[in-house]
Amino acid sequence: MNVELQINNSISPTARFVSWAPSPCRIRMTNPSGATSPSVNVRIAGSSAAAGGAVVFRRNTTGAFSNSLTVPVPITGTSVPFFVAGRFGRPSINNEDVRIEARAGTTLVGSVRVMVRIRKNANTLTAAERDRFVAAFAQLNNQGAGRFADFRDMHTQVSSPQAHGAAGFLPWHRAYILDLERELQAIDPSVSLPYWRFDQPAPNIFTREFLGVSDTIGTVQFSSNNPLQFWRTDGVQGINRQPFFSTGGAPPGLFTEAQTLALGNQYRAFRDMEFNPHGDAHTSFDGSISGIPTAAKDPLFFLLHCNVDRLWAKWQRQLGRFNPAQAASYDSSPGNPIGHNLPDTMWPWNGITGSPRPPTAPGGAMAASPCVSAPGPQPQVRDSLDYQGSVNSVSRLGFDYDDVRFA
Amino acid sequence: MAKKRQATKRSTSARRPKRSARSAMSVATNARKTVKERVAALAEVPVAVCERDENLQAVLKVLRDKDEPVNVRLAALKSLQTASFSVVAFESCRGDYIGTLREVAEDSDPEIRQRVLGILAREKDGYAQKKLLEGLQHPEKALVPAEKALQLLSYDVHADAYPIARSIVSKPPNAAARREALRLLAADASAAPVFEKLLRDKDELAEIRQISASALQALKPEKLRAHAREMLLDTSEYDDIQVTSLTALTQFGGEAVAKDEALMKRVDRLRGKASTKVKQSARRFLDKYGR
Repeated sequence: MNVELQINNSISPTARFVSWAPSPCRIRMTNPSGATSPSVNVRIAGSSAAAGGAVVFRRNTTGAFSNSLTVPVPITGTSVPFFVAGRFGRPSINNEDVRIEARAGTTLVGSVRVMVRIRKNANTLTAAERDRFVAAFAQLNNQGAGRFADFRDMHTQVSSPQAHGAAGFLPWHRAYILDLERELQAIDPSVSLPYWRFDQPAPNIFTREFLGVSDTIGTVQFSSNNPLQFWRTDGVQGINRQPFFSTGGAPPGLFTEAQTLALGNQYRAFRDMEFNPHGDAHTSFDGSISGIPTAAKDPLFFLLHCNVDRLWAKWQRQLGRFNPAQAASYDSSPGNPIGHNLPDTMWPWNGITGSPRPPTAPGGAMAASPCVSAPGPQPQVRDSLDYQGSVNSVSRLGFDYDDVRFA
Repeated sequence: MAKKRQATKRSTSARRPKRSARSAMSVATNARKTVKERVAALAEVPVAVCERDENLQAVLKVLRDKDEPVNVRLAALKSLQTASFSVVAFESCRGDYIGTLREVAEDSDPEIRQRVLGILAREKDGYAQKKLLEGLQHPEKALVPAEKALQLLSYDVHADAYPIARSIVSKPPNAAARREALRLLAADASAAPVFEKLLRDKDELAEIRQISASALQALKPEKLRAHAREMLLDTSEYDDIQVTSLTALTQFGGEAVAKDEALMKRVDRLRGKASTKVKQSARRFLDKYGR
């Protein structure tokens, strides 16, 4: 007897990644030999090492999760749906470090290996996680000749009104870092974008093995085994970044997480975080990252924005602000510029050029994911809000943060 | 309606937990307050700067005023930088901002000069680029040290910077200036032979050889692959350079590397008998090529 387990409703191994938000799955009988009734009760459970990821299950779109699930599987081959999610607090460390097993009685009748792929605090990554991320990032850039050049070109002075200074600041950057993360995952699917929690000391980020150590004039130095030593953008070698704080500590003057989350219950108040902590985190340095035209030249920029996005995600979870139809979830002021209204498509993924959009649209459509269908190739602002699929499960964007629950 | 006003008021007070924007502006611009008080107040005013032109003008005035304490002026600059992230709101005052930065670029305080020239260089500001280049050609006119000028010019490299960079490489005022001149030259296709020579020179600093490897990978990748191979086969080569070679071939190597049996054999040997760092890089290399 054998069953087939489909993760994210797919038989493809590339879809075997889950997060805290439940992934739709199916189980079906592929070989009913030995079955003596029209259906067989199959117990589905996760198996993993103590430090690795862990998963939980539920039968339907709502209800409590449990460590195992027993479902009757018809011998006809008809699929039976169920849901799997990472157990909060137990993200994977390596790809495929969780095995989902299906048993009929005590007999193993099917299994797949999955990863609970979660965005983590960059300061606490394992050396292997750090090295995989750095290698994927360096490969994406490929010395300025790779796909990363599009991401660099998306975030410039000319394009900045699409992404800054109005309500769409957070949704645009959520789409931007998601697009980048998906490209990193196309290189190494075990990678997720880590965040720089800028209100806490993060000494492990500012090392020669990770994002480099700045010398006295702000030229960033890397160890000889770090592929970021080959970093190049705009035809120019290296990274310039000079912190105004000791990298053993946190930048002074930035709102803490608690202060940021207390900015207000309405999105229009919360989005003031574009100044502090976001803007202040950027200007905690001299160098590329301190200004819009050059910020994306520095890989740290993406970790900074991952934390900005995490703060928004946390605020959304705290107040239930996922539904674009609820006024408090977004600032739909009549004066919003184009690209900042919920139904607007976002540049550059929409490919629209010419005033009031920028003259070019680098990078093409949003990268697709083998795990989820949202936000689609040309996302609208509204598509960024329900990132966990809390309001509508098909809106799930396929990422989660290590400290932001699904529910 | 009354409810809506109340809700708005609540969120406004929550987003400014310390004091009102008006109060912060008042402290920030008050010369009778202490430097510490004013620096703290200036950190709170970016939203106010974007909301009202008079606030922007007041903060620009603090930055311009040479009689103000340097730390207060630097805090004003940081506040303006933070405000500039809010592009839509800031756009109308951008001209005044850039104009003030140019005015302050020749300030008597070296840190203010350096920070302001950095912002302008990142904006690809022609005025700043001219001043930086002039300072390299005529050191008596330099607004920042040579190494900083070279670093800032690299935000928008023009061919007219190459001759002075070459001259600094051959006769550097200090080691950092030579290094930054090399980084700038890494954008010049005709500089590949310089980097080849430096890469293979065992008397050079590891840092210079690493910069040369990176430059060569960009300018003549096939040359770097050939040199990296030779340096790995050279048993007298330094560990750091062997690791850089392994990293380059792991990241950028292709079919030819995968089929190079002599190289594979050598790296396999390094995996077993070398320093920890070399062993680790050798393992990554062999993993990449399925060995």
